[in-house]
Amino acid sequence: MDVDLNEDQVMLQDMTRRFLEERAPIGALRKAVDGGAAIDRALWREAAELGWVALFVPEEYGGIAEAAGGVMDAAIVAEELGRVVFAGPFLSTCVVAMAIAGAGSAAQKQQWLPGLASGELLGAWAGAEGLTATRAGDGYVIDGTAAFVQDAAVADVLLVTAMSEQGPVQLLLPKDADGVAIEALESLDLGRRLANVHFTKAPSGTETVLNAHDDVAAQVERQFQAACALQCAETVGVTDRALEFTLAWCQQRYAFGRPIGSYQALKHRLADHAAQLEGAKAAAAHAARSVAAQAPDAAIAVSIAKSHIGRTSSETLRDCIQLHGGIGLTWDHDLHFYARRAVSNEMLWGTPAMHHERLCRLAGL
Amino acid sequence: MTQNTSVASSTPSLKTEALDTPEENAFRLKARQWMAGRLPPRVHGEPANAFEDAALVQRDKAIQRMLWDGGLAGITVPTLYGGQGLSQRFEDIFLEEAEPYRLPWHFGNAFNIVLPVLLVHGTEDQKQRHIPGMLRGDVMWCQLLSEPSGGSDLAGLLTRAEKRGDKWVLNGSKVWTSGGQVSEMGLCLARTDPTVRKHAGLTAFLVDMHAPGVTVNPIRLVHGGSDFAQEFLDDVEVSDAERVGEVNDGWTVAGTQLASERAGMAKGWHVGLRQAAASEHIELSPRYADLARQLGRAQDPLARQLAGEAWVNDEVYNLLAKRIGTGMRNGRLPPTTGMVSSLLVARTDARRTALLSALAGPAGIAGGDGMPGPGVGISRVTTHRIGGGTLEMQLNLVAERHLGLPREPGDDRTMPFNQIKHN
Repeated sequence: MDVDLNEDQVMLQDMTRRFLEERAPIGALRKAVDGGAAIDRALWREAAELGWVALFVPEEYGGIAEAAGGVMDAAIVAEELGRVVFAGPFLSTCVVAMAIAGAGSAAQKQQWLPGLASGELLGAWAGAEGLTATRAGDGYVIDGTAAFVQDAAVADVLLVTAMSEQGPVQLLLPKDADGVAIEALESLDLGRRLANVHFTKAPSGTETVLNAHDDVAAQVERQFQAACALQCAETVGVTDRALEFTLAWCQQRYAFGRPIGSYQALKHRLADHAAQLEGAKAAAAHAARSVAAQAPDAAIAVSIAKSHIGRTSSETLRDCIQLHGGIGLTWDHDLHFYARRAVSNEMLWGTPAMHHERLCRLAGL
Repeated sequence: MTQNTSVASSTPSLKTEALDTPEENAFRLKARQWMAGRLPPRVHGEPANAFEDAALVQRDKAIQRMLWDGGLAGITVPTLYGGQGLSQRFEDIFLEEAEPYRLPWHFGNAFNIVLPVLLVHGTEDQKQRHIPGMLRGDVMWCQLLSEPSGGSDLAGLLTRAEKRGDKWVLNGSKVWTSGGQVSEMGLCLARTDPTVRKHAGLTAFLVDMHAPGVTVNPIRLVHGGSDFAQEFLDDVEVSDAERVGEVNDGWTVAGTQLASERAGMAKGWHVGLRQAAASEHIELSPRYADLARQLGRAQDPLARQLAGEAWVNDEVYNLLAKRIGTGMRNGRLPPTTGMVSSLLVARTDARRTALLSALAGPAGIAGGDGMPGPGVGISRVTTHRIGGGTLEMQLNLVAERHLGLPREPGDDRTMPFNQIKHN
């Protein structure tokens, strides 16, 4: 992550890494996948006690949030989660908690934030495409499908964005709300299942509307930026760890009488991956810092990071498989869990191509 | 004087001025006042280096002289050698104040490479004789390293230096010498003992480029310019007082020299040229959007993809350079991380060339006034993929020194030089 972390942040990083090594190493994911288990809620509550989601929740609702700086600290956690391809719904739950803390009514905060902060409740965050909101009395009726929603199948509360005639609206719906059907999808990332969420005349009363007054589009944009910044930090952790053990492999594995990492045909590729990863770390740190500070370049910083990290991380992970040779193709090697997470993250919340287009718009082209 | 004051006072307040101590602020105001009206303005698009352009080179010498006269030359160099003996903070202040002006970028070799080498390895006599000359703008320097027989395998060089009495006699040829045709002095690596392994038989010398026996021929490059030269050394006599370091310990000197060159390239080579990188926020350069509009491709989705990627490509490098700068200063990143930066410069430049070429399309291979014109697709291909160590050598450096991967095996590092094959 950032090379400018303060002492508290370095402590957070160490604490998170120790917790994950002990309680949620990559082997835990393998066991969960082999056993067909869903999210380990007990483990998530333990993790929540460390303050992962509480970073976004004000003290009066059981959190530790001091300011908008939560995204930077959460990015530090996210990078560590990437290193073990953590299976919990960290990114989604953080974004939902941040959204409610920032724009929710007192009742909504009371209803959701304590549970999200303590780990009792999980959140999922669905983008704006595919949903319509039609006025019905004081509230709305929601129709359509939110596709590829991360953690929707395990979430207790869904934050959805739908288009109404007056522009976007955001709604907080319990997962068992009427007219909501969740279709779990077979997913590349085995630690984080995606789902399509189908809405059929789903009634959403006024109590579900998140912020009826302010600029909802700006609110959605802030959530999008935070989601992308955290995801980028996570992907950096994924790539960093995968490159570490690929490097170790290339130093230990012998062919034709010497370590395969001594051959320029391989070591030059590793050098390039390391250079791109260093760029990825710089871009991820800058994105998290800009979003946390709501800096004027936050939108740009996020798209720069999403494009670079999306493209180079997937390329690096695919080449890590190649550098491992046959062993890299086996189920029993951990590498595929990393590659699955990297490629999934590239595709979610904007592919590099979508972020290139976004940059053009941000630059006035 | 009135004019100077008015220009200086209209300069917008710079970012770090608020942090100045009284002493630093006095220096800042002195620098601001001295440069105003004396230094030519920084002209967008003007080449930083064009050694074949005699007028530009002469002007840089005059600019360096102007800085010397104003007490602004060699800010961190000890006063004993003609410098100002101040800390890096003063250098940074100077660069902030110099931002509107042309700086003497043709002295890049002197200040980025030769000066650090002399400070580390030079004798007291060499430092006192040579450093003031470069700070005064009188003496331009080049480095005589690569040879027609090879560049990447530097320790395999063939130029011989033989001791005759109290003098050394040099014979051989050097090539890819940046600024060789305009330099007064050169830092030369030559073989003094071919009977030992190749790294153990080299010695470094300070060579007068106008000495009898030195012939300099410019090399014409693909773009038509001639930044580089080839030199022939025929019985060139060099005093033993101009030997740098011990006899046969030239590889140690070369190590400092190459590290200084890499450090110079990593910080942007032309000191002060990358001031934009100091900004805290990302500002997308208008360059790609302007080009897309100029070509009528602003709404073309393909052009927009290329422009978008070009921004990502540039900004990731800028962010990385800042990260590495901070991380190396505060010790969070190992010193070898600087090599990663040099490597990413090469990759970034190559990718930018490809993206610009694709964006320009046929307008990048032929055109008239105001259009990109020929050469977009091969611009800068030479600079960062060959110059300062080939891309392949940089990949080796990152892989071996930074990542700790083993070297390729080879006899050339252990056998006596005169027993290994070479061109």
